[in-house]
Amino acid sequence: MKDIVIIGGGPSGMAAAVRLAEKGYDVAIIERKEELGGILDQCIHDGFGTKIFGVALSGPEFAGEFIEQVQKLGIDVYLKTYVKSVEASGKVKEIITVSPDGVEIIKTKSIVYAIGCRERHQFEIKIGGTRPAGVYTAGMVQRLVNLYGILPGKNVVIVGGGDVGMIVARHLYLEGVDSILVVFPEEFFAGLPRNVQQCILDFGIPYRPRTVVKEIVGKDRVEGVILVQVDEKWNPISGTEEFYPCDAVILSVGLVPYTKKLTDIGAEIDPRTKGPIVNEFFETTVRGVFAAGNLVQIFDYVDDAVESAYLAAEGVEKYLRGEERLERPIFINPGENVRTLTPHRVEWKDERPITAFMRPAIEGKAWIIVRNERGEILEKSFRRYVRPSTLERIEISRDILENAEEVFIDVRGL
Amino acid sequence: MSEVYEFLCIRCPKGCRLKVMVEEGRVTVDGYECLEGKKYGEEEVKNPKRIVTSTVRILNAKYPRLPVRTAEPVPKDKILDVINALKGVVVKAPVKRGQVIIENVAETGVDVIAERDMECVEK
Repeated sequence: MKDIVIIGGGPSGMAAAVRLAEKGYDVAIIERKEELGGILDQCIHDGFGTKIFGVALSGPEFAGEFIEQVQKLGIDVYLKTYVKSVEASGKVKEIITVSPDGVEIIKTKSIVYAIGCRERHQFEIKIGGTRPAGVYTAGMVQRLVNLYGILPGKNVVIVGGGDVGMIVARHLYLEGVDSILVVFPEEFFAGLPRNVQQCILDFGIPYRPRTVVKEIVGKDRVEGVILVQVDEKWNPISGTEEFYPCDAVILSVGLVPYTKKLTDIGAEIDPRTKGPIVNEFFETTVRGVFAAGNLVQIFDYVDDAVESAYLAAEGVEKYLRGEERLERPIFINPGENVRTLTPHRVEWKDERPITAFMRPAIEGKAWIIVRNERGEILEKSFRRYVRPSTLERIEISRDILENAEEVFIDVRGL
Repeated sequence: MSEVYEFLCIRCPKGCRLKVMVEEGRVTVDGYECLEGKKYGEEEVKNPKRIVTSTVRILNAKYPRLPVRTAEPVPKDKILDVINALKGVVVKAPVKRGQVIIENVAETGVDVIAERDMECVEK
């Protein structure tokens, strides 16, 4: 029987595996693809690893660093292996897998899920029209271009001003796509400023703010889109519809944690993050089952996703050692101007401060405040500038939580 | 003659929109809210550099493309020269991460390196 089985061989899964193998535990990784690395194999641009390695690596390089460690530590890796079902309620957990070798049952004391997220698609953002060929998600395009050298079209419209959309716009520009237009409903790009500069402004790629695709037009292939302008509340402004000819539509409209496997075993989900509810060591509401990386919430940087995996690894160790938990959990709730917050509760006896990740709902100079239910401020830290596109990381001291049943985190603008 | 450039400051999440004017070698920056932004604008107009990432054709490998990048940042106005130098380049698996694919690409003094290992696949 394994001490830990990690489901998902991307950066977060490998990071958790490496940390636990270094501590001497018997670890296995299950990966459905034919190699480790997760989504990083298609993220060939640079900027990964500045927090962990102190240098900007490309996605494949960042993955390569971890793959090397996995191999060096002799961690068991099951490739081309799909997890069919999991029985996780007892002390001994059973994972039923399917692979070219057949059906297998793997027994383990604990599980870390690190299966990432999926891309949202056109039916989630109410784009109307026909269903011709030539509509892609941004990640699919990254894969086609960077692994197979296939361009999606010659005249493309990118829907969404987030990071993936901008990165794809740059790749397509450099790889020789004739014309690119980026549209988004916000006033300005929603992604990180560095991507706006290095992907859009560097090359003068055209973009239209406060604009959305109302309809996709085309019978067999995309022939164009109907663009419409929107107001501050993203409501279409009538009379502004315009037919824009194009041969491909690329959707970069957000990522959602891929939680189906977790709900199957009864883990509870947070409606804000759309990921599992976790404690300070990223343990889900099912004992001995942990979650890490973009499955828990969408991180801006792989470095932060990896940090969540390291926290999960610490939690796995506490679980395997049978360390003591608090008599009852202390809840950490999102307060004013907080869109998402992870973790959701403190459950373990420990000395270390609690690392929390939160997405602010406002933009500007701000205090991040930890308060109790009576409104008394327990801890605060200053931020020169917060914005919804940038995930904030805070540390909460354990001593301020003593006697508290729940605390709230606010972002207060100045 | 004066030239005006627009940049987005990347020193902090605020992302100030900078306007940088160059007049007879003299650089003035507008639109910054702190000195970091002023400095960024000046540097960005004097010597902006970028890492360039792309792919080249690879034979006998799992995928038809190998991701590559410049080992160091290259001047921004050389980006397209680097991309053009990669066109038509064909390499054969196996390739090791960090292996030099093109030396001194587009006369930049910078090498283009492989971003990943690519094993030879028997077909």
